[in-house]
Amino acid sequence: MKTKRKHAPFKKWIKTYEGQKFYISVLFLLIPVLLLAVFTFVPAVNMIVYSFQDRDKYGANVSWVGIQNYKTIFTDTSILSTFKNSLYYLCGSFIQQVIALLVASILCSKIRAKGLFKGILFFPYLMNGVAVSIIFKKFFVKGERGIVPEGTLNSVLSVFGIEPIKWISAESPLLANICLVFVSIWRYVGFDIIMYIGAINSISPDLYEAADLDGANPWQRFKYIVFPSIKPIISLQLILAVKGAISVFEIPYIITGGTMNTSTFVIDTINTAFSKNKVGLASAMAVILLVIIIIVTLLQKYFFREDGSKLRQRRKTREGKR
Amino acid sequence: MKTGKLLSAVLAAIMSVSTMGLLTGCGGSDSGSSAAPSGNGGAESKAGSSEAAEPSGEKVTLEVLTNRTDRVQDGSLDKLTDPFEEANNCEIKYVAYEDYAGSVSTRMGTDDYGDVLCIPDDVALADLKNFFEPFGTYDDISAKYRWADAKMDADKNVYGISTGGNAVGILYNKKVWSDAGITAMPKTPDEFITDLKQIKEKTEAIPLYTEYAAADWTLNQWGNLVNSASGNPNYENDILEKKLDLFAKDGGYYQTYKLMFDIFSTPGILEEDHANTDWESSKVWFGEGKIATLVMGSWAISQFQENAGDNVADIGYMPAPFTAADGKQYAETSSDFCMGVSKHSKNVDLAKKFVEWFASESGFAQKEGMIGSALNSQMPDNLSAFQDTVTFSKTSAPDNLIGKWDEIDKESGVGIWDGSNDNFKLKMAEAAFAGKGESEFEAIIKEANEKWAAARDKILGK
Repeated sequence: MKTKRKHAPFKKWIKTYEGQKFYISVLFLLIPVLLLAVFTFVPAVNMIVYSFQDRDKYGANVSWVGIQNYKTIFTDTSILSTFKNSLYYLCGSFIQQVIALLVASILCSKIRAKGLFKGILFFPYLMNGVAVSIIFKKFFVKGERGIVPEGTLNSVLSVFGIEPIKWISAESPLLANICLVFVSIWRYVGFDIIMYIGAINSISPDLYEAADLDGANPWQRFKYIVFPSIKPIISLQLILAVKGAISVFEIPYIITGGTMNTSTFVIDTINTAFSKNKVGLASAMAVILLVIIIIVTLLQKYFFREDGSKLRQRRKTREGKR
Repeated sequence: MKTGKLLSAVLAAIMSVSTMGLLTGCGGSDSGSSAAPSGNGGAESKAGSSEAAEPSGEKVTLEVLTNRTDRVQDGSLDKLTDPFEEANNCEIKYVAYEDYAGSVSTRMGTDDYGDVLCIPDDVALADLKNFFEPFGTYDDISAKYRWADAKMDADKNVYGISTGGNAVGILYNKKVWSDAGITAMPKTPDEFITDLKQIKEKTEAIPLYTEYAAADWTLNQWGNLVNSASGNPNYENDILEKKLDLFAKDGGYYQTYKLMFDIFSTPGILEEDHANTDWESSKVWFGEGKIATLVMGSWAISQFQENAGDNVADIGYMPAPFTAADGKQYAETSSDFCMGVSKHSKNVDLAKKFVEWFASESGFAQKEGMIGSALNSQMPDNLSAFQDTVTFSKTSAPDNLIGKWDEIDKESGVGIWDGSNDNFKLKMAEAAFAGKGESEFEAIIKEANEKWAAARDKILGK
């Protein structure tokens, strides 16, 4: 009796508009959720399981080792030390923010062919990372007498009478890393510019007008109007920069393969799994990376929830006044 | 109205089902490449019938996985196999992978990894029995084939037969070397470096090309010289039995990598930009005489000859420039890939027959300039420079040490055949490029020695 009584309203409910909406959306959601499960959740769970095992690529002779892999990561200094190369990318991303902000401010002022410039600057972000890396692999080539012509950069410099420079070399890991960071900036700065343009455009023109009336110069306008208004976007960008710096992969992997002291944590993880054949340890490294990324994401969420709740509060008080 | 709603629900259901179908379809074709489905289909229909060739009916198809993309693309492998296909009324389907070890290790995670395949070197010897069918015991196989111990487990079962082997040495351009006025081949590391400097002075060629952009495998080519440098077939076993340091002075490892370090530290005799070497182009440059010397296994000879155009005769191969204490020069011969038969093959007997045929009668090794795996085969012509050297193949490990070498290598993290960025070879090379001196070299080998000793004591006991 009880079930029947419960069942009947369900049958009725499913015929209602609400019910239809519900099961149709469930059916449609099934596809992306399935894809997500097969290609993301199942492998991720497997990875966490593997991180407690001693196993090779072939999955033969698997043995459980508990937290031994994690112990290895935190005791063997050579593993975590590759994070130091991430610092280059972190520094690079600060420079990237400055450039992006500068260009965005310029593009928001009254200039010609704004759209064209936006398009050109955003284009590298649309290009595949592998393609970008291959282009820059050729860009930094130091020529070889009689065999290889100078790369793009050295050819351009030679016009100004500058001797060809060996950009990526073991002699100077600093220069090699700077080159790679430059590629990273080149690729991602367009995205930041668009973000900043969006933020700056959302500032009410009334404020500018008022500032003009008060005789503010462009710097003062930036300092007292633009900067405070786009602060949330800047902090979001910085958090994204941290994430990016930790997980940088394709640019160094393709240009140097991680040689010449340009390796990153992700490249090391791949080498550990597929070159050193220690899939268990590599999984543990990947889990640690995952945890770091989750922490950073939570921080980001935390900061933005603060802003959101403040906004809500403000709105509430405004409504209350009304 | 109602039908409309029903229709949309059905549509959604169909879409989700078809996506699933797409997924599984993808999975199937991904693991099987193009050949797998047909290979399986053929195998299944054949499974019930007898082994002998059927007059009518479908032919058996064997799927053979190989690393030789070039030979599959130019069709020469297929042509080579015609006699076998006719004799056994079967079809051999070659599937080649560019990144062989990587692709095959993924396939070996499933049950479908072809009928016959080249055994990837990073399958631990102890695990061979989980993946491959044994051909017989060591005693049986070694009576017919060279390098029978290459893929043997601790019970002395042999799981793979060599497709051919290489004498180990150094690739050089004969014309450039003679243009530089060098008449006698170098017999010691010092002579070798002197010769390289002479090439730098007298010719336009790059004396030695490092191929450093592909360091993950090209630096391993130096490792091939180790046993030859030691002049001792039992060298690896000695290291374990006598508990020697891996880089004990005057041992093969020390001499080989010291030579590498010294060459890489000498300015002017290498290419300028180590980060941008190009393996494929270097084959052409080598034939053109723009590169004088390359450290490569003899497997590379035929590839360089193909790209040399009219200069084929210039491609030479010399023994490693080390002279042992007894005044002789040694060269190790070692096996290229070994072929094994998948445990999950439906035609094990035919597959085994194919492997043995490929090793002994196919003529593949001769064609590729390798030493044939059958015991009675001749040394190939392109190794004529080895006339005065003593060739040997390394002794197989004694029963209690089978597989221990690899085990210690993995446990210690030294990575004798590994090309990761923190590997000792890459560290040495980069220290040399950066002009750091001898002390850096000593520090690197000290670290490797310590790691090795710790792992050895853990696995073999003190």
